[in-house]
Amino acid sequence: MSDLRIDRRSALLAGVGLMGAGLLPPGLGTAWAQGAPPGGNDLYGPDDPQARRGGTLTVAIANEPPNLDPFHQAGDARTAITVLMYQGLMYEHASGQAKPLLAESMAISEDGLTYTFALRRGVRFHNGQPMTSADVKYSYDYVRDPANGSPGAADFGAIRTIDTPDDHTVVIRLAEPNASLPMTLTNRFGCVVPRDTFANPQARTRLSQQSVGTGPFMLQEFRPQSHIRMARFPNYWVQGQPYLDGILFSVQPNAASVLVALRGRRVDLALLARPQDAEQLQGQPGLSITSAPSLRQCSLDLDCNHAQLKDVRVRQAIALSIDKRAVMQAAISGKGQVLGTIPAAMQESWGAPLESLPYQKTDPARAKALLAEAGLGDGFALDLVSIIGFEWMDPAAVTIAQQLSAAGIRLNIQRVELGVWLNAFRTRNMRFTFNDWGTQPDPHILYYRHFHSTPRGADFRNWNNAEADRFMDAGMASADPAARKQAYLGLQRVMDETVPTIMLYSPDLVTVSQQRVRNYVQHPTGWWFGLAKTWIAT
Amino acid sequence: MVEALLRRIGATLATAVLATGVVFLLIRAVPGDAIGEMLGQSAGDPAAEAALRAFFGLDRPVWSQYLSWAGDVLQGDLGTSMRQGLPVWGIVTDAFLVTLQIGLVTLLVAILVGVPLGLAAGSRPGGAMDMLVEGFTLVSLSAPVFWTGMVLLILADAWLGWAPPLVYTSPEISLSDNLESILLPVLALGLLQAGAYAQFTRQQTAALLRQDFVRAATARGLPARVIFGRHVLRNIAIPLVTYAGLILVQILGGVVVVETLFAIPGLGRTLLAAIQGRDYPVLQGALLLTVGVALMVNLLVDLAYALIDPRVRGA
Repeated sequence: MSDLRIDRRSALLAGVGLMGAGLLPPGLGTAWAQGAPPGGNDLYGPDDPQARRGGTLTVAIANEPPNLDPFHQAGDARTAITVLMYQGLMYEHASGQAKPLLAESMAISEDGLTYTFALRRGVRFHNGQPMTSADVKYSYDYVRDPANGSPGAADFGAIRTIDTPDDHTVVIRLAEPNASLPMTLTNRFGCVVPRDTFANPQARTRLSQQSVGTGPFMLQEFRPQSHIRMARFPNYWVQGQPYLDGILFSVQPNAASVLVALRGRRVDLALLARPQDAEQLQGQPGLSITSAPSLRQCSLDLDCNHAQLKDVRVRQAIALSIDKRAVMQAAISGKGQVLGTIPAAMQESWGAPLESLPYQKTDPARAKALLAEAGLGDGFALDLVSIIGFEWMDPAAVTIAQQLSAAGIRLNIQRVELGVWLNAFRTRNMRFTFNDWGTQPDPHILYYRHFHSTPRGADFRNWNNAEADRFMDAGMASADPAARKQAYLGLQRVMDETVPTIMLYSPDLVTVSQQRVRNYVQHPTGWWFGLAKTWIAT
Repeated sequence: MVEALLRRIGATLATAVLATGVVFLLIRAVPGDAIGEMLGQSAGDPAAEAALRAFFGLDRPVWSQYLSWAGDVLQGDLGTSMRQGLPVWGIVTDAFLVTLQIGLVTLLVAILVGVPLGLAAGSRPGGAMDMLVEGFTLVSLSAPVFWTGMVLLILADAWLGWAPPLVYTSPEISLSDNLESILLPVLALGLLQAGAYAQFTRQQTAALLRQDFVRAATARGLPARVIFGRHVLRNIAIPLVTYAGLILVQILGGVVVVETLFAIPGLGRTLLAAIQGRDYPVLQGALLLTVGVALMVNLLVDLAYALIDPRVRGA
């Protein structure tokens, strides 16, 4: 018998951890020095004393990364895989804290402008070369130089200089305080590679054939449209880990083939693209199913420069017309968490309580009144952009069209291809659209680029809200967790009132595994960190 | 005959050049480029975007991009994939060989199943066998291949508890694993094309049997086996070969669909991914290859005529 147990543990962990988020207040000098206990640590999940080494685990993935270049590919599909091969100075712990990974400790100066990292000793790259501070400096200088075209460049914009007083110390100086620096140095764009990796113009192309990171697994083979093979890195800096000899990621073309492969025992582990598919696997002998809140959000974005949406009352009326729970029910059979102004896995730690936000309730009468005030009492027509290939958007669109019609808004649903959509998004012409995106568990990384006005942020929704900017700047500058939280609560209040986005729900992360898979813990990002500690029972 | 062939090759090459030009322009007229996928929602830094665009030469005018691409192609270089960073030639030929193998095996299945059925049905029009074959043809031709594929996948899972292997294996690594991975796609496509083949063969056979020379042979007392083997088969061989050429092109079109359904890394999925990711070099390379293959198939069909039909041989 399989069991569908809702694992609240990650959610609770996320809550507890973030209250002490990131850093101690400046003035304390060394924030924390945390060395890994010999032979292991709690990174990537708990150690398992019963773990046995050996075996290759087969994992089904539905989203294939275009390539495995951690410096030039922003996609979540890429990060989900490369976290096993590349590591940053820090790690986005499941608790929501940035914890040292290739660093052993981090100290912050009193003014919050200087971060000093002591590097872990005995770390080697996949090519055998030992890691030193020069490699860290090279990697981070490379990312932050816009001329190198990394999508991470903006995140690293706060850095002024990177110095290397000795082989095992890195000193990063900031132009202004930025409390999210430790989270920036994690595994999305903060990977460390050997110095001069990109001196060879062919290097970028080689990253899809050979890995040069410090992570527990090395790339063996990448066959686009088919599979990715990884092998254990024998010189990995944690003794005795990873437990698996190898991992085979098999690219599956659709949700149905993932289910067939799970039932046919062709795969050991899969993260369901459609959480509601778990119902079809219930009662299947030998399969275990776990479910946890995610950092993903399915949302509606409102271009504040577009047609009737320019009027804040219209945006408020739309917010008040929508019953998020009904949308989630239609889209994913309710297998998720309804959101307010932050993704589910961050709600307890950083989120404003939904009941404190006036535009989070459904109030069609008030919506009609707001539209009448805006001179649209007779209703109006609006296009909703839906992205082809995102299955949840179709049923959600139909439900939302029904809900908005009560207020007199006639919704026309337009389906566009992802490339076209991304282009409109990037050029700030998103109009009224669905969106589906994820984040690392830090509010600065979540909000700043998306919502801060230009040029400091990208302000994709043309929100241009000075009050929100102030809250985001305060949240970035403050190192005091309580003050940060206050800033982000203020931001969420403004966001609720002026509606540049309507976060609908976070789909649950539903992980399905065969019985022989042991000690896999799902990370709230949906990335495959947990495989570093997974083992196979024989 | 040689002159005709050369003229045909010339025309096809001209079409190829025209087609690549059109595709080159069309795909660039679609909003978005390879940079979009790379940046995703992490975009927003104009300097980083400009740097990426310059890296791929996307900042140059389209005509200049086309000319340098065409120049490279003439020197045998199809360029480098923007998404994967690998040479386009390797990507498209690897993918094409996968597609071709499935196409050829499917064709074989279609012939082995369809021709005997068509012969049996056509030799006694209106008979019980004819009705059966007609039923089979109707079902196989009217079911779309993605539906047949999905049904096969689900039935294999539900009845036999069998699921196709996760990872496609090429025949040079292990023929048995390879056949296991292409089994369902070949069945899905093969059933469809066997129906088409059976129908075609039936019509040809029935028409032939009404011909005077067949009647004359029957009157002379030749046994049915000899008439069939020596006269009927020989005469319908030519249209069947022509048909094979047509069907192969159709099958290759259908493979694109089953590749997506069964996660087979063939040309169809490669093309789809290249379109979605705006990977212009791969798209153009794949198109060039497809045109080249269409040319080859036509050529082979013409050559096959010469082998079978003495009248063409002399021409």
